[in-house]
Amino acid sequence: MSVDLSNVRNIGISAHIDSGKTTLTERILFYTDRIHAIHDVRGKDGVGAKMDSMELERERGITIQSAATYCNWKGKDINIIDTPGHVDFTVEVERALRVLDGAVLILCSVGGVQSQSITVNRQMDRYNVPRISFINKCDRTGANPERVTGQLQDKLGLNAHMMQLPIGLENDLEGVVDLVTMKALYFEGDNGEIIREEDIPADLQDQADEKREELLDAVSMFSEELMEAMLEETEITPELVKEAVRAGTLALEFSPVFIGSAYKNKAVQPLLDAVNSYLPCPTDVENLALDLDNEEEEFPVSNDSDDPLIVLAFKLEDGRYGQLTYVRTYQGTLKKGDSIINSRTGKKVKVGRLVRMHSDDMEEIDSCGAGDIVALFGVDCASGDTFTDGKLTCSMSSMHIPDPVISLAVLPVDNKAQVNMSKALNRFTKEDPTFKTFVDHETSETIISGMGELHLEVYIERMKREYNAEVEVGAPQVAYRETIAQRAEFDYTHKKQTGGSGQFGRVAGYMEPLEEGEYEFEDKIVGGAIPREFISSCDKGFKKSMEKGVLCGSAVTGVRCVINDGAFHAVDSSDVAFQLAAIGAFKEGYLKAKPTIMEPIMKVSVEGPSEFQGSVMGSINQRRGMIIGTTEEGNYTVVEADVPLSEMFGYSTTLRSLTQGKAEFTMEFSSFKPVPKSVSEELIKKYQEEKKQ
Amino acid sequence: MGKENLVANNPLRALGLEKENSDSGQRVGLVMARAGLGKTAILVQIAMDSMLRDNKVLHVAIGEGLEKTSSWYTDILNLMSQEQKIDDFQEVVNEVMQNRMIMTFKENSFSPATLEERMVDLAEQGVFKADCLVVDGFDFTDTDSSSALNELKGFMEKNGLKMIWFSAVSHRDDDRVSENGIPAPCHEVDDLFDTVLLISPDEEEIRLKTLKCSSACTVDAGKSLTLDPATMLIKKA
Repeated sequence: MSVDLSNVRNIGISAHIDSGKTTLTERILFYTDRIHAIHDVRGKDGVGAKMDSMELERERGITIQSAATYCNWKGKDINIIDTPGHVDFTVEVERALRVLDGAVLILCSVGGVQSQSITVNRQMDRYNVPRISFINKCDRTGANPERVTGQLQDKLGLNAHMMQLPIGLENDLEGVVDLVTMKALYFEGDNGEIIREEDIPADLQDQADEKREELLDAVSMFSEELMEAMLEETEITPELVKEAVRAGTLALEFSPVFIGSAYKNKAVQPLLDAVNSYLPCPTDVENLALDLDNEEEEFPVSNDSDDPLIVLAFKLEDGRYGQLTYVRTYQGTLKKGDSIINSRTGKKVKVGRLVRMHSDDMEEIDSCGAGDIVALFGVDCASGDTFTDGKLTCSMSSMHIPDPVISLAVLPVDNKAQVNMSKALNRFTKEDPTFKTFVDHETSETIISGMGELHLEVYIERMKREYNAEVEVGAPQVAYRETIAQRAEFDYTHKKQTGGSGQFGRVAGYMEPLEEGEYEFEDKIVGGAIPREFISSCDKGFKKSMEKGVLCGSAVTGVRCVINDGAFHAVDSSDVAFQLAAIGAFKEGYLKAKPTIMEPIMKVSVEGPSEFQGSVMGSINQRRGMIIGTTEEGNYTVVEADVPLSEMFGYSTTLRSLTQGKAEFTMEFSSFKPVPKSVSEELIKKYQEEKKQ
Repeated sequence: MGKENLVANNPLRALGLEKENSDSGQRVGLVMARAGLGKTAILVQIAMDSMLRDNKVLHVAIGEGLEKTSSWYTDILNLMSQEQKIDDFQEVVNEVMQNRMIMTFKENSFSPATLEERMVDLAEQGVFKADCLVVDGFDFTDTDSSSALNELKGFMEKNGLKMIWFSAVSHRDDDRVSENGIPAPCHEVDDLFDTVLLISPDEEEIRLKTLKCSSACTVDAGKSLTLDPATMLIKKA
């Protein structure tokens, strides 16, 4: 089966919270005839937007899980992933970007480039995603698309230029002037579906000429033909400009900016035209796979539907009909009934049902070719797994997954809730690699951990709503870590030879800080001081010790353990004896290795009116925050700081009262840093008291 | 060894800057160069030296982003640490960066009055009380620049700031100079500065020339230091 890939677009829609991306997606689906009525995100009709399929998403008015949908616009098949705006759900954004070829960055014409836009832009840079921008909400009071375009240049470093001029702004927004065709576009009909093309209004002509000149200057470097036409002053056709814009966008050196108001149904269709014209098709971008037979050497995938199959599972969801696995086909053809092999596990699975997703609805399909995004039913795998048809042994490059920074205890209220909670947690951990769960053996509590308060809150809500698992929730706890600061020797003998079968093992060596990675074990034993069969027991003992540090009971990381001597007893030495000897040795060395407690530090960005700058900075200072600096622009100031996560609980309430609700903040994990001495002492004391109880 | 090493072996010692921000008086300095020659790198080295000596430095970046300005400090400190042995580099970074705050302004939103308001606010909230001020991107071509400089100098004296350093862009095609040899656009305000340094590329190397030096300075006007063109770090004589 051969599909013309130049007619395929895999795009993501990313933005700051409340920039209106779900509303925009709703309009896109309407104009492409995928839905036949428009519903608002927080609409009074109680239906909610199509892409916010989770009940909780509709209630909160934010997108939590990304949903995939498909539409066709003027002959191009567009796969859209609507991605979440909250930083706690960053992994969803990252996963989407990994499999997409291009993206639309949505910005609010009033709020402009906000902290989450910066985060999303950074993620797009990481995955080399060509992007176009859409400045939404031009109907709002204070709308200023030109200022936002300036911010795209200054704050995001994009070579961003407006492709359109607004005809009126705020309440008077009527349409846009297309600077490529030099025509005015008006959007009429109940839902803006009728586009009326007119000459540019006389009062905008000079401004349009000037802006077009600027645009041509900016894109001429991407097309020799355009540059020649400009120098020779011959006719500059829209096609010539479009080619130059496309070349600049694909090379990530130019970023076209479109404007409009999705809510008021203004200028969404030109954005769709831009997706077709300027965003890449699967063959325009190079995707690399790792050859597992050849020391993971990178090789580009072919994008050819006739080549051996390579498929990446990038998202799992527990749907009404079982596990749904979203996949992108990078090369080859995936057919219903095929047997495919999971490169990680080596397991063969059969493709039962193959569907094209449209948020909650789906279309059964028989096959899909290279570049397509579809979903499979009943395929057991983890997010990020690669599937092949067995002709290749490869994996798509790994995805960047951040470590969880916050945890809390969940206690089911009864036996039924216990069973349901287990099912839910099993599902969530498979779906979301940043969500982790374990049982604390000392307290028998189930602990869940994730990327922020909202992240965990959403999963608790989902447990209740989707799995009927009523749970009591403990206070959020920061995921501290322990590590060592210097090298220390150990020499420990575990000896229990008083009656019955004895235990004996001696383990000697040293531990030292590990620059990168969590744990390393090295065996430097010579002459059989510890028999071969007990070397792995020592490793196991060390690993067990790393699970819980002695200072505050947090996991230990960044330790390299080396054993270079030991002793054994012909009868009394055993696996258990050497594990216990290693645990003793670890404890002995650990206390000498200057153990320290590390805490997660968050990069916090507070944005609000400049008049509150002092109070905002004061509040950060009180929270042990280190202020990096401020950016003042007009009446708004952004304060950026590194603040310990433990100090950020309840900050939204504090900020609200300090700034009369006019400031907002976002935070994301930055790094682990040692806690100050006073905090360390407090944590140690608290842990000792807990142990006594 | 910790940060003492970075202080003792800093090539800036040759300029005697540690005397400049002593309690004896306030000093105003200027780094000049043509566009793109590394004024910010020099300003950051001066600021870093001050921070390493436990002074609080407020870096005001006009027309430049926070992230870029912040990364100058990280880069310069990394480069400095490669030249000097430091036992616990991360600890030094954490300690030194506590002494720095960055404020960025758009070109059109900066004014000495706004800066003063912000600085007083920060001091009153107990967040940050600057000892030294670094102003990168100040527009000396503005007709009001002289009064703005005087305003800042007045603020400096009122609030006990030890020093202020500015950067200014000189232009190849503007050959106006003051009696002291200070190029335009600062030739008419050169009396406001105690120390003026000029980055000047020769055929083989980049030099940091001392155009003007106050009595506390240990080099004579006309002497120069050399810059490493790869890192823009001042080289040891």
